[in-house]
Amino acid sequence: MANELLRDYQAAGSSDDEMFDEAGGFRTDYQDLGQTLQGWTLEEHLQREERADLSLLSAGITFNVYSEEEGTERIFPFSLIPRVIGAQEWSQIEAGLKQRLRALNLFLLDVYGDQRIIKERVIPSEIVLGSPGYLPEMAGFQPPLGIYAHIAGCDLVRDKQRGMVVLEDNLRTPSGVSYVLENRTVMLRVVPELFPRQGVRAVTDYPNQLLGTLLSVSPADSTDQPRAVLLTPGIYNSAYFEHSFLSNQMGIPLVEGSDLTVGDDDFVYLRSTTGLERVDVVYRRIDDDFLDPEAYRPDSMLGVPGLMRAYLKGHVSLVNAPGAGVADDKVVYRWVPEIIRFYLDEDPILPNVDTYSPLIASELDHIRAHARDLVIKPANASGGYGVLIGEQASSAELEDTLAQVEAEPRNWIAQPLLQFSSIPTFDGEQLKPRRADLRPFVLSGRETWVIPGGLTRVALREGSYIVNSSQGGGSKDTWVLNEEPA
Amino acid sequence: MLSRVAENLYWLGRYLERVENIARMARVEHDVMLESGQEIWHSLVSTTASNQLFWDTLIETPELTHSEFLIYSMQNPASLRSTLVRARELARGLREHISREVWEEINALYLFLALRKEYIANDIHEFCTETQRRTQTILGLYDNTVLRDEGREWFRCGMYLERADMTSRIIDAKYHILLPGEDAVGGAFDRFQWMAVLRSASAREAYRRMGNNEVDGVQVAQLLIFSQEFPRSLAFCVQALQRHCQLATFQTPNRRRAAAQRGIALLHLDLGATDMDQLIDDGLHEFLDDFQQRLSEIDRAITDNVFRAEPDAGQAQRQSQRTLEPNAKIDQG
Repeated sequence: MANELLRDYQAAGSSDDEMFDEAGGFRTDYQDLGQTLQGWTLEEHLQREERADLSLLSAGITFNVYSEEEGTERIFPFSLIPRVIGAQEWSQIEAGLKQRLRALNLFLLDVYGDQRIIKERVIPSEIVLGSPGYLPEMAGFQPPLGIYAHIAGCDLVRDKQRGMVVLEDNLRTPSGVSYVLENRTVMLRVVPELFPRQGVRAVTDYPNQLLGTLLSVSPADSTDQPRAVLLTPGIYNSAYFEHSFLSNQMGIPLVEGSDLTVGDDDFVYLRSTTGLERVDVVYRRIDDDFLDPEAYRPDSMLGVPGLMRAYLKGHVSLVNAPGAGVADDKVVYRWVPEIIRFYLDEDPILPNVDTYSPLIASELDHIRAHARDLVIKPANASGGYGVLIGEQASSAELEDTLAQVEAEPRNWIAQPLLQFSSIPTFDGEQLKPRRADLRPFVLSGRETWVIPGGLTRVALREGSYIVNSSQGGGSKDTWVLNEEPA
Repeated sequence: MLSRVAENLYWLGRYLERVENIARMARVEHDVMLESGQEIWHSLVSTTASNQLFWDTLIETPELTHSEFLIYSMQNPASLRSTLVRARELARGLREHISREVWEEINALYLFLALRKEYIANDIHEFCTETQRRTQTILGLYDNTVLRDEGREWFRCGMYLERADMTSRIIDAKYHILLPGEDAVGGAFDRFQWMAVLRSASAREAYRRMGNNEVDGVQVAQLLIFSQEFPRSLAFCVQALQRHCQLATFQTPNRRRAAAQRGIALLHLDLGATDMDQLIDDGLHEFLDDFQQRLSEIDRAITDNVFRAEPDAGQAQRQSQRTLEPNAKIDQG
């Protein structure tokens, strides 16, 4: 019996849907999935959505919401219908991400080294040196293997015209990978019958790859048994579940700032019940500003006094390196295609979204003239906060934002509103088209490795473009097919 | 092992044990109240050491009952609910040190409690029975799924220290009815009360199996204080505490572990050097008071010298900022 859910969805017709083509048929990658889904009644669908939620809640897979009362936890809303990516398309995406991260790491090494890219006038110096992510004290410092951004999360969306495009890079402490792993666990448990014939690429290798990456950048003088730790701000942090999950999966201690101490010898130690033990690598999930109250915010209770001193002497490795944020600055983003060409002498495999910087006179004019068609974003905020969507804003909001853009051009960028693709998502009663992005995670150590798939985040409100979990987004499992469907 | 982790595991053991004890005592008190028609919850509130707070809280919320205060009120830091919320918060921070099974069961207990929007007095029996059952499941799972490393020993230290403390408070709350008085000839009401004490400590079957034909206050106290076999007696708990503390501090430098180990060893020796007759002569209440005092000194020795000792000489001194300071929140009143 045909499933009324899918039938209604098809009838409603969505022109830029991941599952259905314009004619209303299943796209090739979704054929197996779609056929199984068609066999479900509404009740069967509902039951499975509920079982998945219950499974996440009882496992305590929750995140904290900053804007609410301290300690408020929610499950990250989970949506059963996965995103499916064909094997061929994935190999393109994978190559594009590896290329991008190679270039961004070379850029960081250059910015804190000879600054060739500035000297050769590829990118204006005030954009690089004026970035809040730029840390002058890192100048001249070379981290192990020359890598700054060991762990990166690049947000991709599918644009109708251009295919997969990079919306932004997250090179400081990108989060979400634990949901990738947990979502898969839930899918395997709750809907084994959905998995397609040719199978999907496993994601479970991530913790092993991550541990390998961490240890590959141990300081030169560490023992043959280097010790890595994961530094968390603590249980009230929104990503605490992930910190605990990853440290557990890797078998490394999860520490808070007060668990570490920097000795008079400028090495970093862990306070244990038996005494002090040396730490070689710190996978820190706290921001640069809070790392070390001696070097940065003196009011930070999250960091470790003296940590930067130990780091700059090469006694401990920090992952990601402080100062990596200069390369995920939304203004610098505008120059990433130029960065790729400059360091690799290659054309970018994955395109950027057209981006206008008000620092450039002609681009400011463009922003003024086409504000209604643009999305205006603060250059240095995350979580989808402060984003103004021209077509949805009131005139007052628009004028207010444009005034801010002109006053502080370094702090803003503008991009066209992307009609990025949607995936069927159950809203409790019906399947609705909901826009989704994709955040694959890229690890850079001796080699560059990309998790097959990544976190698919989905906007749960109708028409919304904001997929961030803190603003009511949800997530889906992401399937990279082992081979092309027959 | 990380000092903070060790300390939090110790407190997880304490809190879980406390939750189980409060649930058990509340269930028994509830039954006793129904059968005897007497409101006796106040003695339970004093058992968990928060009398003054109860009267203070009553001023703001006049409809508050003793039982709600003891079980459900978040204004009472020693209530079952407050204790469980803290235990669960600690467990969240310890997920990589406890098994997934243990975490999920603690979380399920928390959700069971959190999903109850209001306090319903008639549900006490069912609610407490379920809480007790789930807590025991957690403790059982802990024993069978968690790595037997230093952390597990700290968990056990916390559990036995808390249990010793709780059993001594259960006895203390009823010491006047346990001792032979001038007019007491073991009437039916006394037997009823003694049975309630035994049930509060999960000791009814144990008491019978130990060959006690009569229900007698002194025998009840004897079991709860001196029995080497009954796993809730003071003697048993102190002995277990001694064993687990030795295992937990196996690699800890002598100067850091000495105070705690000495305190436990002396308590153990002193318990072995006295008997029930002596306690009746010297005063049971004074003995229990002193016992609780010594437990809290042991707790302090573990906290100050093992968990929070300053780094070794030559290392940077810095202040320890903790996310949770369980120590500051307990033993109020």
